[in-house]
Amino acid sequence: MKLLLVEDNERVARFVKKGLTEAGHTVDHADNGRDGMYHAVSETYDAIVMDRMLPGGIDGLAIVEALRQGGNHVPILILSALDGVDDRIHGLKSGGDDYLVKPFAFGELLARLDALLRRSQHQAVETTLALDDLHMDMLAHKVTRAGKPVALQPREFKLLEYLMRHANQVVTRTMLLENVWDYHFDPQTNVIDVHVSKLRQKIDAGFGKPLLRTVRNAGYMLTDQP
Amino acid sequence: MRLPGFSARTIALGYGIVSLLVLAMFAGPLWYAWHTNIQEVRTELITADAQRLANLFARGGPFALTTAIESQVVGTNDGVRKIILFMAPNGVKLAGNLPGWPTGLPDRDGTGSATIHVAGEPRRIELVRLTLGGGYRLLIASNLNRFDELERLFVWGLLACAATVLMGAALGGVLIRRALLARVQGISQTTAAIIEGKLSRRLQEPRDGDELQLLTRTVNRMLDQIEHLVTGVQDVSNAIAHDLRTPLSELRARLEELSVTRPAEEETFAEIDAAISDVDRVMNIFNALLRLAEIDSGSRRNGFVQVDLAKLAAEVAEFYAPVAELKDIALAFTPRGASTAVGDPVLLAQALGNLVENALKYAPEGGDIAISVQRPRRDMLEIVVADNGPGIMADERPRVVERFYRGDTSRGTPGVGLGLSVVSAVARLHGGALLLADNRPGLRATLQVAVSPAGGSRV
Repeated sequence: MKLLLVEDNERVARFVKKGLTEAGHTVDHADNGRDGMYHAVSETYDAIVMDRMLPGGIDGLAIVEALRQGGNHVPILILSALDGVDDRIHGLKSGGDDYLVKPFAFGELLARLDALLRRSQHQAVETTLALDDLHMDMLAHKVTRAGKPVALQPREFKLLEYLMRHANQVVTRTMLLENVWDYHFDPQTNVIDVHVSKLRQKIDAGFGKPLLRTVRNAGYMLTDQP
Repeated sequence: MRLPGFSARTIALGYGIVSLLVLAMFAGPLWYAWHTNIQEVRTELITADAQRLANLFARGGPFALTTAIESQVVGTNDGVRKIILFMAPNGVKLAGNLPGWPTGLPDRDGTGSATIHVAGEPRRIELVRLTLGGGYRLLIASNLNRFDELERLFVWGLLACAATVLMGAALGGVLIRRALLARVQGISQTTAAIIEGKLSRRLQEPRDGDELQLLTRTVNRMLDQIEHLVTGVQDVSNAIAHDLRTPLSELRARLEELSVTRPAEEETFAEIDAAISDVDRVMNIFNALLRLAEIDSGSRRNGFVQVDLAKLAAEVAEFYAPVAELKDIALAFTPRGASTAVGDPVLLAQALGNLVENALKYAPEGGDIAISVQRPRRDMLEIVVADNGPGIMADERPRVVERFYRGDTSRGTPGVGLGLSVVSAVARLHGGALLLADNRPGLRATLQVAVSPAGGSRV
């Protein structure tokens, strides 16, 4: 995938660029708003990682807004040092697709970026999801594993749906908290882990191949890969 | 109503004017009475005298009158007290105690007052002048000069009185001014001490209630509030320093150890992971503080929408249910009645989440946590989270909502000190408060939310 990184802090930029390159992406880097804007309109990217605070007092959101007004719908992940729910909402309203607060774990950035790239690839709304022998019928609200019905609570269904939509992708705890529960705070307890392990009990226990895996220091992944 | 200005000069001036007015009210009528009465009596006396002598003249002629007058004026000093003069038509003095017809008399018969010159001395007199038959003239007068002394005394007395009054006023002014200055100086000195950082100093309250007592009380209340705020800021600073120093020093020690000992790769990565979680602890503290500041600034009201608190509480209860299950804690939710309010769902969920996490932390194995939503008043909703853990001592309750306060330091997991502060700030933002009570046993936390937060305080 071809990505654009607009970030003025040299160290952060180097760290992110290196990580993304290792993950198999091609990365262009701009360290100011003007160059970032120029790159964004003159080339085609699969996604843009945009810092909010750019040199010269430029707010990265202004660039995002300009791109959107110009009819450019490239997925954009906004990086910001402002941690307010308001800032997040403001960032998303300006046309950002996701919002990440600095300092961030690289795993979080990568997971969110993958989710963005995936979202833009298949826009079609599926009514059934499948991974290996795990099937989900969204309309009938039914889940089966190897043909056997799996009884899920509504919230567990939503959790599994999110994991299946991002199959073979790392999904962080924060992503689950925001997308499945719509909560925007850090629980002091391991409540997300407890929910995931309950789900794992239902879809993996007693079946041959474990699908729901824990990725150390990052989050979870639903995968049929060995 | 606005009270008139309160200054020493005004008081002195007012006192002086009032005193002089009183003096004038007392002296004026006296002076008037003296003058009119005394003069009237005297005029009557000399008129009667003149009448008597005129009758004598009518009966006995000039000679009888001359004799009578002479016998009358024997032994009287010339022109003192009573003046009598009997003149022949040709201007010769027949009898009396004046050497000759004085100048300065009115040239008509009747009563009056005049100033005549006797032996070159001016004298004020009250007189009766009669022209008797055949051109004989009679002058009877009462010398007013002998009252001069009395009048002078009176006037001097009056002036002395006025002077005393004015002196008193001036002195009073000075004294009041000094008393006021002493008071104000007390206030100034205390305030100066406070500016220098002695925040516990208070103004001396006057023993007798006056205008200054009211001011003093208000100022002291203001100082209490300022001291409270400053102490709060200091507590926060200390806590930040303390809370951040711990993970930061651990982090530094870890990194230093890595750079000195250069352990095997496996161990190095374990240490780096630990270092990252140290940094995360620091970030969590910062985030919580920033979140608090954001809520406290009141700028979050633009996220307000209609929220069904019962639905929100049910979801939070469901969210934490698996955690409660693991600890074998019964987590029950009971909605009671209508529960729609205007608020920020994101913040309310966080606040309620904090309360439930707090209860989960302290409720014993096999304990109970009861969440309920109720509406005690028409304009107020309450979300109650009650546990049966150790609870919080009554005297500690007001302090646990302060930033970073910990009941005991052994509870010291990072961020704990901020949980209840955030809940309290969210409650304030929603026009309510966080109330902590004894659940006998345990803690009963009530998050109040105004149904329409128009009256919410923007702390």
